[in-house]
Amino acid sequence: MGIKLFTEPELEKPDLLCGWPGIGNIGLLAVNTLKGQLEAQEFGEIEPWDFFYPTRVSIRNGLLRGLEFPTNKFYYKRLGKRDLIFFIGEEQPTEGEGRTYARGGKAYQMANLVLDVAEKFGCRRVYTSGACVSPIHHTIKPRVISVVSSESLIAEVERYPNTVFINERGAREGGGVITGLNGLLLAVAKKRGLESVCLMGEIPDWLSNSPFPYPKASKSVLHVFADILGISIGPNILNEMVVRIEEIVEGVYSAFPAEIKERYDERKLAIQASPGGITEADARWIKDHIDEIFQKKGEQGGQKSG
Amino acid sequence: MDRNLVEIYRSPQFQNPSLIVGWQNHDIGKLNSRIINFLNLELGGDKVAEIQPPTFFSLGGAAFKENLIQVPESNFWACEKSDLLIFRSKEPNYEWYKFLTALLDFAEYHCQVKEIYTINGTPALTAHTTPRRILAVYSQPEFREKLQGYGLRDMTWEGPPAMSSYLLWTAERRGIPGVSLWPEIPFYLASGEDPTAIKLTLSFLDSRFNLGLDLGKFDLEIGNQNEKIARLREENTEINEYINRLETGLSLNEEEQVGLAREIYENL
Repeated sequence: MGIKLFTEPELEKPDLLCGWPGIGNIGLLAVNTLKGQLEAQEFGEIEPWDFFYPTRVSIRNGLLRGLEFPTNKFYYKRLGKRDLIFFIGEEQPTEGEGRTYARGGKAYQMANLVLDVAEKFGCRRVYTSGACVSPIHHTIKPRVISVVSSESLIAEVERYPNTVFINERGAREGGGVITGLNGLLLAVAKKRGLESVCLMGEIPDWLSNSPFPYPKASKSVLHVFADILGISIGPNILNEMVVRIEEIVEGVYSAFPAEIKERYDERKLAIQASPGGITEADARWIKDHIDEIFQKKGEQGGQKSG
Repeated sequence: MDRNLVEIYRSPQFQNPSLIVGWQNHDIGKLNSRIINFLNLELGGDKVAEIQPPTFFSLGGAAFKENLIQVPESNFWACEKSDLLIFRSKEPNYEWYKFLTALLDFAEYHCQVKEIYTINGTPALTAHTTPRRILAVYSQPEFREKLQGYGLRDMTWEGPPAMSSYLLWTAERRGIPGVSLWPEIPFYLASGEDPTAIKLTLSFLDSRFNLGLDLGKFDLEIGNQNEKIARLREENTEINEYINRLETGLSLNEEEQVGLAREIYENL
């Protein structure tokens, strides 16, 4: 199982920021956008074949030109006093077929490899980012929900803009699980004595299985990262994608039956932490019909562009 | 090499061996099973090792096919006089890279394998009366050069990889060249047997390794099959028309393809 470093940059107390695919690709989009904004440089990768299956082969005129695997790459950016390492994975390692989120021995190995690289460069803090499925209205600006590895981080995270701790959002019985590598990496980091912070952008519950990203939440996370790093990322970042997705979401929302829509709209006025606005039956209806509605919208879109 | 993954019964004595690999679960036209069984029988293949299944296969129960329990087996046979190592297995469910590494570890470190040949099969929209072709994928240009003159045709493909491609890629990283052979099989013979493609592939192996195989029995099978299909064409005008169209280079729609494949499968 290999780590391949193309270069070994000298970095000053770098923080590690990780992004993987997940619900709404919220964390991946946030971390990847930040990496792009800062023009971070690639410096290494985790060799994929022990974790992932090849996805594509290229054969030309009888010659096997290459195999493609999901990539897992490291990037760095020097910021002066506190540099950054980015780790961006195209897939989470799973054991067994049909799973999306990392679990089992492979996920644990991957988490350790990522942290091996981070620690080699002097990293003492790890940020992961993902989604927090919440009973919010899609028109509301998503908050960033946080979980940290130690009490010493609480005061700092409380100062982050638009950020609340998971308990304030209403975690069940005060606890819960952060699925996949976003959670596992925090746990392994804590075990190694590193500080770790998870920043999760809120996504409306009924959109958590949708096939598209939720950039509005990524944008919320990005603004928190910008605040932490003391950098400016511009107010219009991701706006184009936000507008495009909002159009789709509005289209689906408009297909809700009137009585569900009415109850759902109560969420606009409700305190975000309290679930409600829609009944369990409403939630079931949305869940049962969401594929159908997406399909109809997709077909309509196709006719327009035809 | 991980001894827990490969159980070795003995280390065979070879001079300059090649490895022939057949994947059991894509046994199109029974090409794989017939070729591997034939070679083992004719060349006196002796089982020398096997890859243990627990790491690679779902063992939550036992699969069965046509009333028979199926066990995932991944066996190596040595045909020392012919300088051939033969491997046959189902494709692993999990840990593909580890599986291929175990396969190559045994082939390289215990048998000093120098070249790899994988046997596959690809359904083609052609008639059974059309001469078969063997498409080939090479891991090195030098190896392609070396196999010029055997009548293999270059394949071009972009998409999901076959296990054979993954094996060639993994072997190439160790400096072992390989080729995967993809004989074209008329789609309506894919579920049954295609003795013509089997014989063609065996002829290639015979000529490549100077095996001195007697392939006469396949002529009889080919003759019988052609006769049965000819009779079916006489009895069934629709089937005759479908095959006629394929013979003249025309295509069939999906429904026609399914109909032809079903009729041939049921009547052969």
